Amino acid sequence: MTVVLAVFLIIGLSFLFTAGLRAGVAVDDKRHATYPQQRPFLGGSDPETHALQRFHIRYYTMTLLFVAFEMEMMFMYPWAVVFVEEGPKALAEMGMFLAILSVGILYGWKEGIFEWE
Amino acid sequence: MNWIAKLAAKAPVPIFIARGPDAPDETDRLHLNPALTIVDTPRAASILLVAGTLPHALKMYLHRLHDQLPHPRATVFWHSSPTEPFSNAVEIAHGDDLASVLLRTRAALLGGERASDADVLPDEPANEWQGVGPHGQGGKGMMGGTPYGRPMAMTDDDIRDGLKLDAYTAEFGPFLPMLPAGMILKLTLQGDIIQDVAVVSPPYEDARKGREIRALLRLLGLPTLANRMLVENAHRDAGFKRLVTLSGVRMAIPPDLGRTHDGSDVRSRFEHLLKDPFSPQKPHLTGLDLGDLLEGREWQEAMLILNSFDNVSLRKICANTRTNADEDSSEQTSGGHENMDHSAHGGH
Repeated sequence: MTVVLAVFLIIGLSFLFTAGLRAGVAVDDKRHATYPQQRPFLGGSDPETHALQRFHIRYYTMTLLFVAFEMEMMFMYPWAVVFVEEGPKALAEMGMFLAILSVGILYGWKEGIFEWE
Repeated sequence: MNWIAKLAAKAPVPIFIARGPDAPDETDRLHLNPALTIVDTPRAASILLVAGTLPHALKMYLHRLHDQLPHPRATVFWHSSPTEPFSNAVEIAHGDDLASVLLRTRAALLGGERASDADVLPDEPANEWQGVGPHGQGGKGMMGGTPYGRPMAMTDDDIRDGLKLDAYTAEFGPFLPMLPAGMILKLTLQGDIIQDVAVVSPPYEDARKGREIRALLRLLGLPTLANRMLVENAHRDAGFKRLVTLSGVRMAIPPDLGRTHDGSDVRSRFEHLLKDPFSPQKPHLTGLDLGDLLEGREWQEAMLILNSFDNVSLRKICANTRTNADEDSSEQTSGGHENMDHSAHGGH
């Protein structure tokens, strides 16, 4: 019963809080930003174009590399659990897996993905 | 005045300074006044301080700046008289203490005895847009709108790897805190790098002592050390030198940045300014233009390069550089994007 009461109390309070915020905004709303106020600050100058634009995320190759190694860790956790049972066979398998991955790193290095631009 | 306004009136006054060519030397020393906070954007200011007389060409820029201050706001003219349309502005009379006038003005604003300045410019978008186009976005096609009166940026060549993306062209200045006062540059930015530079207006001819080293220290994130330079002979103080060394600020300046023909770069000019802040290095500038210095540079690097020169050298470099007028005429002949009818952009 107390849980139900608490839930209703939380819902009621959040409604009150939202109503308070809305009332506050309504009071402030008469002073909405005019067009000259909305202009981006360029030191008194006027922009020619809208600020919304497409640009190149130049660190994306590094992000992809990061994701690849995250996935490698996903494989290493179950491997660590069965490592004692499986013995040298598991070690060899992980060695092969890491070797293949490092070829990927070397290729990326050659292509210059570690260079920050 | 209610209690909350009274409390607010005790805080330092946030002011934004619009500097004229004859701004008094004390303008810089306002940084040392604990009753004032000099802010870097009009959005954080409650008072616009116009220091010195502004040239007529910059009036429009001042109007735009004025309207960007949030309400309640006021304009104060210092060492100049208010011009139209600032008839309601405060003028600092000869012999008046600036800080106390600013405090009184802000208190009057908060208490409601003084009305907040109205907008100078009309409340209308830069271009017609509402209701135009299938979704009311102001144009045809995906990139063809003019939302909120501004056309969308169009693709342009990239100087790094040729991936054509949107280039952002805008004028920056003359009251941008990181640029020397009075300087207006028309920059084309491709992502985070500067792709094209044209000069709209060179910096003022002012020869404020130690402007360059203070601007560099501020840009490098050391505003307190910059303010310390305002104290007499601070640069000769061993403690100051130690603080500069300990801050590792030299390492924060990329090597070979802004190299001139005689081998001087931002690091060497910074070193020189630390030793002798009042006589900046005079590098050999013949044939050097802003394009050579800034194109391909990121914003932070470009600002370090610009502020490492004194105003006399900068004016020389600006004289070598293509001006905005040259650019407009060349674009008219080649049918550049500026004269394009933005409402008719095709779908991309």
